[in-house]
Amino acid sequence: MNSRVWLASALLTLPVFGQPNVSGFWELRFDSRNVPPALLTSAAAGEDREVQFKLDMKALRWCHFLGVPYVMEGSAIDILQNRNGKEIVIASSLRSPARHIYTDGRGHVNPDTFDPVSNGHSIGKWDGETLLVDTVGFSTEGLTEIPGGGHRTPDSHLVERYRLMEGGKRLSVVFTWEDTKQFTKPHTYEFRYYKSPKGTEARELDCSASDEGRAKFLTEPPKN
Amino acid sequence: MSAGYKTSIVCVLAFAWLGPGVSRTAGQTPDLSGFWERKDDVGSGNFGGTLERIPHAALKPEVIEANRQAAERAARGEVVSIASKWCGTNLYPFFMQHSAAWDIVQTQDEVVQVPEVHTFARHIYLDGRKHPDPEMLQPTVNGHAVGHWEGDTLVVDSVGFIGGGGTPGGGRTSPKSHLVERFRLLDGGKRLSVTFTWDDPSIFLKPHTYELIYYKSEPGTYAFEEYCHADDPAQSGSVVEPKQK
Repeated sequence: MNSRVWLASALLTLPVFGQPNVSGFWELRFDSRNVPPALLTSAAAGEDREVQFKLDMKALRWCHFLGVPYVMEGSAIDILQNRNGKEIVIASSLRSPARHIYTDGRGHVNPDTFDPVSNGHSIGKWDGETLLVDTVGFSTEGLTEIPGGGHRTPDSHLVERYRLMEGGKRLSVVFTWEDTKQFTKPHTYEFRYYKSPKGTEARELDCSASDEGRAKFLTEPPKN
Repeated sequence: MSAGYKTSIVCVLAFAWLGPGVSRTAGQTPDLSGFWERKDDVGSGNFGGTLERIPHAALKPEVIEANRQAAERAARGEVVSIASKWCGTNLYPFFMQHSAAWDIVQTQDEVVQVPEVHTFARHIYLDGRKHPDPEMLQPTVNGHAVGHWEGDTLVVDSVGFIGGGGTPGGGRTSPKSHLVERFRLLDGGKRLSVTFTWDDPSIFLKPHTYELIYYKSEPGTYAFEEYCHADDPAQSGSVVEPKQK
């Protein structure tokens, strides 16, 4: 290979010199989740499951944004690591906003002026081969259930660690939630995504709040 | 040799190969990334007025008649947008003419536009793929978009819209719509020009072309989530649903 071509190829595979490239479509499979039960506070463990069920079905029926953590497992995700190194976006097929992870060195927005949102406010930095993402500023919009137990609340703090495995064929994301009203100690679980084949297309899983049949299915008890 | 040392050599050699003064972080194409927003740069005095100078589309007679009837219903007080009442997904190119900023994230193989309004991120594939076979193409809100660079201009070709959206200048989108966009930085990256050309034999008598200018948002800008709750009486009561026949 011509040395200039080789150098150009090497450059183009690196979003920013030296950083791993986590861009691309990623999907979960049946063996992708290692989710231990969360250690819940007595208040969280005593929550009325029927009330939460109704809240979740209401969010689905009315096409509310789904938010983190559901957007990380509800469909394949497309990670785009901006080539200037200042931002990473995670888009899903769900009709829910994409996640913006700011990697330009900024801190979190002042909570006094930030309107909480379903994905929270995320900032990231590289620690060697690992992308560390820190998120606060969550709202109660959408599906709030956290894998393993508990719920996302405005007090939740999420730290994620993204790391490529197997030469870039797999992506490990370790999630750690802290929320003293939900957990007696930080709750950690891991997803290992598979890289989707080259040429994978994004889908749009749309949502219609005016669909009566859909609304009945989501709000009425199943019939025998 | 350590991986870090190898990377350093690649960086040094690559800099030497590209030569000094090259500010682009990778590849040879402009960096479009960042938040972009429209402004009232035509002196219209209000945001809606910024679209008034866009040339009127040459529409087919049946589309003109449909537009006239819709205007009549609106004049009678019937609000015709059921999509607002039900928080329907905003159809492309709605977010491109909205006041809310949108964000471009750019890799070598893909550009994604992330709007704040409630719709999907728009994926523009730059990896050389073609549009799917029309028989297999699933129509979507944003259509299927592929792009390539012509010098400093990103040319994006889109088909496969579900249709029903509106274009500036009085046009509409349909499943037969074909859109070509040309993205080009101006003023050293402070502004972004996007020229849209819609071609659709079911809507337009001839291709409809217009240009919108976007301004780079301040560094540190962050995204909002513009939610819409159809179960909120303030939302659902904001429009009157037309009587069903």
